[in-house]
Amino acid sequence: MIGMTFGVACLAGLAVAGLLVIRLVRGPTVSDRLVAVNTIATQATLAVIFFAAFAQRTVYLDVSLWLCSFSYLTTIVWSRYLERGLL
Amino acid sequence: MTAREGAVVVLAAAGFFFTLSGVVGILRMPDLYTRIQCSSKTITMGALPALAAVVVGEGPVSPYGSRALFVAFLLLVVNPLSSHTLARAAYKTGVPMWKGAVIDQVGQPAGDQGRSHENGDG
Repeated sequence: MIGMTFGVACLAGLAVAGLLVIRLVRGPTVSDRLVAVNTIATQATLAVIFFAAFAQRTVYLDVSLWLCSFSYLTTIVWSRYLERGLL
Repeated sequence: MTAREGAVVVLAAAGFFFTLSGVVGILRMPDLYTRIQCSSKTITMGALPALAAVVVGEGPVSPYGSRALFVAFLLLVVNPLSSHTLARAAYKTGVPMWKGAVIDQVGQPAGDQGRSHENGDG
């Protein structure tokens, strides 16, 4: 029962993140697209950790940790480029 | 269904609905700043119950539960940081606000001229 819940939550999170592709395609500015990318990364973190708990494989936990701790770098680098104009 | 299973289902459903409302906000909000607000608050508050579901379902000492706690901590640090940085950079480079925006407390008034000066705060 708990494993099934994790599997359903993984699929539901991925489906909701799929909606964000609309904003990713249509965003008027690059910053709008980065908001969508950030949220997709958060949802991917959750989906991977749910899949790890669903399939009982600890390997995927490292993937989710990596996604969570490095996904913000896109936003940081883009903001730095916007404010200072150098990378 | 034991109490633990019920708690897992309820927490996962709560996280899913928070996330769904955040995604609808990102899709429907009129300008960049309101979208950043949805992405920052609602998505983080949707991720925390979902991670709490993993912690409750697997136990906090198991590999899954401990990693879920750590991911929750990282999200609480990283998500507001990136949202704040992006909003600040977008504001400094002049990304336009929504036409119906009432007040711009940092710089010039956004919608109608002079309202922020009348209020006297800024």
